[in-house]
Order: sequence, then structure tokens, then C-alpha cells
Amino acid sequence: MAQFDLIDDSVVVIIGSGAGGGTLANELAQKGIKSVILEAGKRFQRSDIENDEWAMFKKISWLDKRHSAGGWHGAVNHPTLPTWIVKGYGGSTIHWAGVALRLREYEFKTRTHYGAIDGANVEDWPVDLAEMTPWYEKAEMKMGVTGKTTGMPHLPWNNGFRVLAEGCRRTGRTDYNSGPMAINSIERDGRPQCQQIGFCMQGCAIGAKWDTLGTELPRAEGSGNCEVRTDAMALRIEHDDSGKVSGVLYADADGNQHLQKARIVCVAGNSIESPRLLLNSASSMFPDGMANSSGQVGRNYMNHTTGGVYAVLPEKVHMFRGTSVAGIVGDEVHHDAARGFSGGYYLEFLSLGLPFMAAFLEPGNTGWGRSVARALENYDRMSGVWILGEDLAQERNAITLHGSEVDQYGLPVPIVSKTPHNNDYEMTAHMYETSAQIYEAVGATDVYELPSYPATHNMGTNRMHADPAKGVVNAYGQAHDIKNLFVSDGSQFTSSAACNPTLTIVALAIRQAEYIAQEMNAGSI
Amino acid sequence: MTIRFHRRRDSGPDHAGLSRRMFLMTTTMAGVTTASLIGGTRITYAAPLDEGQGAILLRMVQDIYPHPDLLKLVHYQVIADTVTKGLEADADQARALTDGLAKINAQAQGLYGKDYVAIEDADMREGILRHFQNEGFFQGVRWTAYFGIYDNKEIWPLFGYQGSSVEQGGYIDRGFSDITFVPQGPTLEERMAEVQK
Repeated sequence: MAQFDLIDDSVVVIIGSGAGGGTLANELAQKGIKSVILEAGKRFQRSDIENDEWAMFKKISWLDKRHSAGGWHGAVNHPTLPTWIVKGYGGSTIHWAGVALRLREYEFKTRTHYGAIDGANVEDWPVDLAEMTPWYEKAEMKMGVTGKTTGMPHLPWNNGFRVLAEGCRRTGRTDYNSGPMAINSIERDGRPQCQQIGFCMQGCAIGAKWDTLGTELPRAEGSGNCEVRTDAMALRIEHDDSGKVSGVLYADADGNQHLQKARIVCVAGNSIESPRLLLNSASSMFPDGMANSSGQVGRNYMNHTTGGVYAVLPEKVHMFRGTSVAGIVGDEVHHDAARGFSGGYYLEFLSLGLPFMAAFLEPGNTGWGRSVARALENYDRMSGVWILGEDLAQERNAITLHGSEVDQYGLPVPIVSKTPHNNDYEMTAHMYETSAQIYEAVGATDVYELPSYPATHNMGTNRMHADPAKGVVNAYGQAHDIKNLFVSDGSQFTSSAACNPTLTIVALAIRQAEYIAQEMNAGSI
Repeated sequence: MTIRFHRRRDSGPDHAGLSRRMFLMTTTMAGVTTASLIGGTRITYAAPLDEGQGAILLRMVQDIYPHPDLLKLVHYQVIADTVTKGLEADADQARALTDGLAKINAQAQGLYGKDYVAIEDADMREGILRHFQNEGFFQGVRWTAYFGIYDNKEIWPLFGYQGSSVEQGGYIDRGFSDITFVPQGPTLEERMAEVQK
């Protein structure tokens, strides 16, 4: 692995090693562009991964102090855990389930299709599906996504998904399948075929699921063009007198601070840490935070409109056997104002182990007693879905900084505010009803509706927009205010769309790497 | 959790069947046959709880996650012991728990004129506990019970959960797609055909 000097100001400094940062580093490395990744967490190995829900939660989760606020139930039931993401080498690609969906055409142009919505901040992306399609194809090839791009078949259907699929068939649905997934259905790219282990969201123990831990990061390091520093928490981004960024101050494992000089800084710390870092980088030149002339840094926090549904079937299902998200239903992904809400939603089969089922069936202080215990006795006859729909951007849903409380690095603790929009309530009711109908069609006896989990899909807090007054970055993730500062994670999303964000994050990172190389060659950054 | 009870099909035995079993457990707790229930081991109440407090705690643990047809009293006793063991080095926690147990019993006395452990109706006992569910002592017991039951590898098989599979090569040859009450998924050939350009 390369090692770069702290005073080497020719490097690109990338903050975060997940889907955005890890991909960007490897893409740059393959083009001969040198980078230093500052990863706040530990250097995980594949051998750290266990098939144990709580052991892995404790091992890999981002558990630094955060406040959960706003009108969603988690402000009470998950007061210090607004999100469920990873701190460590590989970022949240360790935890993601592998669903690799593209945005639909209308989802890039929500303002055009939905119009202005009271209380929401709906805007169009500065890119569209036609522009993104070749980048999606590159991402699918890179990650090994089952489907036509790679020619790799979708995964075999497991018990839990077969129940869901039959319910879909009986209710006249047509768009349901076991892919696209970034999980190898056959051996490919040095990674093995999926063994239906389960525990995908605890990390894939064999690397059949794409994660940057096993692909982008070691490849970037192996190129000699990338140094990954783990236990390196970015504290603030420095800038020079001209307003260009010049380096990143970070704390190492012992709390010692270092300043890594940089030609370019790319922020990919997920949708809480990325805006938090920009806000913490306020200076006399940028009193409201870096790249924040629009006032949109930290705003428009989106995390999907979600819920869970678990149905009890007449016979054993053993849903935990096999891939965690084993199938996707896309029939409800369209915009139809007659449904009473804007945007659409996916149903994704999702197995939970008994420990997490018992924790999330009814989260919070009330989740005990006879109804909970009785439901759990049906565990081996359950099939269920995680439902995820478009979450409309709202300015009040935001990442802000606590006025007095600081974390172990001395940084103000982030407050994550999330209040559902009326659109979310309308959509959620529709989601639950649809799911219940599907499962009842296949003989469900009881159907349990679960509220949203702490979010893994976090988006929008440094949104891209063609108009510098309405967004933080342009169509390449480049800050409108500072041309050598980029945002490289899901925080650049203009809208949440209905689908899991990772494929789009990777596609945008590949595209951003191309743009950075071009601009560096042109000498403009 | 919102439960939708199914609209067409009976969903199995109702709560009446459970409460009788719960009542039996309560009465055996007070009697001399307790030892035989847990295989010859006499129940002892670790300090700082006295016998009455220990009985309330054991009843409380059962009422928090009642599984009378799946779990044995000894499973709950282990959880109660874990709770009391955790108190040995923490006087504040011990006081909070003993105060809490006293409040539970006082609530039972106030509402029904009898001890909490003597209330036969499981829903009434749960109703008493619901008064205290936002208090620290209650949630401490609750989460100990949660981990002792649902994150307990020895208990998982009773719920039909098999847990870790990687050391056995996953579930690919161990029933990941073995149910017969719904159709099979597509064959490999069909899955190959659908991804051709």
C-alpha cells in the first residue's frame, strides 16, 4: 500500500470508504490518480464477520453519540440511534443487503412530475435516466449485479420469497423477481457464488455480496495509488485564502490531530457525517459552513418512507434460510396522484433473525407482553417484507449541530430531525394494505405491521441541483461554491426515489471519478 | 406492532389457553413442588432480594415474555438470577429494583386487594406491569429477559430458528427452498433465459 506524506498537496483526500468513497478511490487509482482515504472506523477483515445479529451490530455499527429528533417514532423509541450504518473499512457496504436497483425516469424529475408540494422541497435532479444509464451499466458490471447487464442469472428463490411471490401472482401482480442483486449467483470476479447463508446485513462472510471491503478498497490499495488510513476521523476541512479547500484535519486512534494536505477533497461520510463535516468547517470566509451559500447543507434529509410487514403462514417457512433480501416487488413503483400520494414504493422480502424480530416487532418500551410473545411463537411460519417508498425532501428534516454537547472527538453532536410528511402517512397506509392483501392471498393468518427501523438509506443533505441557490453541488457532485470540493455519497441525492440508493451512489462515483480526472487534466482543479 | 387479525381464518388457540398454564406456574412457585419443576435444583433468591421480592421478579419475567408452552420455569429462573446477579455490585440499581417490585405489588394490592403473584388473570398482571413500563427498573428486567430468551442460542430451536449457517456451508443444501405449499421458483434454465439480452 502506498503511503503519502501529510504535506503532499497533490493527493485527493476522500473521507469515507463505503459505496461512494471506496468506489471513487478505486476509480481514481485505476486512472493513476493518488488518494488518501480517511476512514473513521476500524480496518475490518472478512474474518471479522459472524452470523450473529447482535454481535455484528455491536462490532460494526456507527454508535457515536447522535440525537434522534422530530416527529417520527424513533425520536422516542430510538433516541440515540437515528440510523443504522457502519463505521469502518468498507462503510455501510458491509451492511447493505445487495439490492441494486436503478432510479426510474420520473424519479429524477420529481418536481416536473409531482409539481410543488406543500411542506416539501421537491426538485428535479440535474441529471436524468438517459444520462445515467451508461454509468449504471458500469456500476452493474463492477459490482456484479444479476440481470441483463452482466448476464448473471438472478438468485434462486428462497422459501420466504416464494410465499411473497405466490401472493403477488394471486393478486395479479407481474413485477416480482429475485433480483437485481449485487450478489453472485455464479462465481464471478474472484468472488464466490452465494451459499444462501443468510445474515447478508451482518456482512457477507464469504464475499459473495459486493462490498468495498473486498473489492474497491483492496484494489485501490493494490494499485499503489491509494492509502487508506483507518481510525482517522475527519474533524474539519481547511481552505486557503482564495477559498479553495487545502486539506483535512483529522484525529487518529490516539486522538492526535494531523492535517493532510490535499489538491481535492471528496466527502463521502454518509448523509449525517458529510453535512456535519461541512457545517463543522465553518470559517470567517464561510460562516454558515463550507459550501453552504445555498443554506441547503444538512437540509432535505431523506431516508425512505418505510415499514415492515410480517405475515404468519399456515405452514413452516423458515424465512431466515437464504439471502436476507431474496426478492423485490416493483408493481407499486409509479407515480399516480389518484392513489393520494406522490411517488411509489417497493416491497422487498426481508428476513430477520429471531433476535431482531423480537427487537423490532414492536420497538421501544412497549414491545413486550402477551401479544409480542405470541407473535414470536409464530416466528418459523413468517414471511415478510421491508417496504420502502419515496420520502419527500423537507427543509426541516435536517442534520444540525447540538449547541453544547460534544462527542469523543470534541465535535458538536449531530441532531437528526425527521418528521414524516402527510405524503408519507398516505403512502404508508397504502403499503401496509397492499402487503396484507398479498399475504392474505396466500393464506396468512395474522399480519404484523412494524414501524420504520433506524435508517440505513440516508440521503439528500448535500443535494445536487442545477441552481446554486437551491442545492449544494452540481450534477457531478462538485460544490457550487468551491470547485475542488466534492460530495461523493448519497447526500448528493436530490430526491430519495423509492429504490435502495447504493447502485446510484456507485454510478455517480464512477461518473465523478471520470469528471475529476478530466478536470485535473485540464488544470481547472 | 399493529396486528391485523386475519379476516378469513381462525388464528389458533386463544389467550384463555395460556392463562391457565400461567396460573399453574404461579401456584407452583408458591408451593413445595417447585424443586421438582426445575429438575431438583431448589430455587434460591440471590441477595439483595428476599423471597417475596424474588417471587415477584420471577412472575414479572414470565409476564414480560410469556411462553408457557415453549419455555420452562428454569429458563425464566435463569433470567431472574441474571437480573439479581447484576445488582450485587450496584446498590442504586438494587434499590431501584426492590422499590419497583414493591410498587408492582402495591399496585396489585390497590387494584385487586391481593399480591401481584396471586393474581390469576394474565391480562390483569400485564396491565399492572404496563403502569411501570417506562421506568428504568422495568426496562432493565425487560431487556435482560429479551436477551435471555431471544438472543439465546440454546432457546432458538424452540422457536424454529437455526441461526448461524456459514460454518455448515449456508442453507443452500439445507432447506433454503424446501416448502411445498407454494409453487417452486424458476429453474436455473429459466433464470438464465430471462437475463439474456
